[in-house]
Amino acid sequence: MTARSSQVLMAEGLARSEQVPAAVEACYDALAVNDAEPFAHCLLAHLLLEGDFYDEAIAEATRAIELDPDCSPAYLALGLAYDRRGGMWDQSVLVWHELAEVVPDLVTAHVQLGEAFAAAQFEEEAIDSWKRALELDPKEARALYNLAIAALKREGMATALPGFRKAGELDPSQDDLFFALLGIRSAPDRAVDPAKVREDRDSRLGAAALAARADDLFVTAELVRMVLDEDPDDADALALAAFTYLKQEAANEAMACALRAVAIKPDLATALYTLGVVYSRRAGLSKHAARVFIAFTKAASQHALAHVLLAESLLGLQRYSQSKKAYRVAIRLDPACVRARFGLAAVHLTEGLHAEADWEVRRAAYYDTRRQGLFWRLYDEYAEGGAS
Amino acid sequence: MATEDALRLYQAFVGQDPAEAIRVIESVRASGVTQAQLFDTLYVPAMALLGGAWANGEVDEFAFTQASVTAEQVGSFVVPPVGRQDTGVTVVVGVMQRDRHTVGKDIIAAALKESGYRVNDLGLDVRPADFLERIEETGARIVIVCAEMLAVAHSVVRVREMLTTAGHDDIVVLVAGSPFNAEPSLAREVGANGIVHGAESALRVLGKVVADLEGGEVR
Repeated sequence: MTARSSQVLMAEGLARSEQVPAAVEACYDALAVNDAEPFAHCLLAHLLLEGDFYDEAIAEATRAIELDPDCSPAYLALGLAYDRRGGMWDQSVLVWHELAEVVPDLVTAHVQLGEAFAAAQFEEEAIDSWKRALELDPKEARALYNLAIAALKREGMATALPGFRKAGELDPSQDDLFFALLGIRSAPDRAVDPAKVREDRDSRLGAAALAARADDLFVTAELVRMVLDEDPDDADALALAAFTYLKQEAANEAMACALRAVAIKPDLATALYTLGVVYSRRAGLSKHAARVFIAFTKAASQHALAHVLLAESLLGLQRYSQSKKAYRVAIRLDPACVRARFGLAAVHLTEGLHAEADWEVRRAAYYDTRRQGLFWRLYDEYAEGGAS
Repeated sequence: MATEDALRLYQAFVGQDPAEAIRVIESVRASGVTQAQLFDTLYVPAMALLGGAWANGEVDEFAFTQASVTAEQVGSFVVPPVGRQDTGVTVVVGVMQRDRHTVGKDIIAAALKESGYRVNDLGLDVRPADFLERIEETGARIVIVCAEMLAVAHSVVRVREMLTTAGHDDIVVLVAGSPFNAEPSLAREVGANGIVHGAESALRVLGKVVADLEGGEVR
């Protein structure tokens, strides 16, 4: 464990509870006592970055690295500050490269390095970096989005779109959307036991949805079957069955159940979602997917991802301006929606708006690193006495 | 009638009889339903019937899976055609000499190809003489010249001059790139007939140009 002064510990506590001004003040207090404490400098860099003071953040992070070249959170803050400031791609490449050396299994370092390379027009090196990130984590959605953008630049939207969809499917937020439609926010603490579920329709369906959230698809199927045995025209149960089949890659079964559910209840959001996803995965059904997702966005208008799904289906139809509108709605609803940011970047590229595309990719990076809480992960690991 | 056909297709699915399923599809097609309509008018109701049969227990889990496999086997017979039809219109595309920015050109070219245009992509750093040569080779009547730098954008006038000198006044020259987006009058100055502001704009402008040229022989 690396020792930290009490002032730094206080600043940390304030920063973690997002009391930024007080935390900044505490950092300066810590530095007044000991100007050579890397923790205080890198913490201050992180806080200054939060306040969009890029040059100041760069200075503090640089000082932290000078004091300790293994200070991994300082590299993160420095790289992000360079990226957000813009126009410093050569420095940015160096920093992300350094971070990837200091913490070799840090996937985000490779993704960021790729983005820095891409911004500096080193496309091949960028692609190599994203591939390296995917070697470390095959589900790294941001690397896949970036590869889709790279494919768009080289071969157009028809090649890029499958990449966007694949990235989207790996993105857990898509499943989150389905469960949010059912009012389920997180997986249950305990496994669902069908024997203990009350014998009424609502309890069974609720338990089936919870089991699906926990990826216990057998239990889901069992409970859904009980509901359908009571009422074969229960559209909610059919929609949940469709989702369960979709999760098992059984597209036709999913389509059959979803179509039956939609026939019974045409505006049922969960059924529309599943049907739209099935259609969007099939070549030649982009128009059908768009039609379904238009209905879906009406049924689930407050969900950003619903608009993203519509936007992606419109990309497949080369309706870029309509797609842009849908992406913008998604971003308005959820500014942190990485998938929407990358999609909008793609649309900007089709319009020749390269600076706007780069900006969206940078915003996506900002929200993605924030969502991951990466600074604190590196900070805590560093405080524990190792880079990783 | 449509319901009866859907029922027959559904029965072919449940009977795991892809040959019968194809016969049903072909008979519906022969009755005048287009490829683009088959999915909605036949396949969707048949699949909904299958979903309903599974829900009410008419078909068990195993039969449902087997029927879905049959549905998959004949899926390609009902899916609307993937690519757009060949428009028969040739478009020459390239990045002007002394410019190596290819992204905009690549995206436009890909969008046009996807929409059925015959795209002749000359790549980057293309001399005006190369544009002329390819236009004469292919008989194309539309050319898109891309330029991302101001000095290069000004030099696009050399393409128009070369076409005029060679007696190709009727070739439609479209320009693309940031300098033209920022200053649309520049397009007129270099003798272009219009500006393409990206992929969707290219499709829209080309659609209009082709419609205008329809009276003549568009290749």
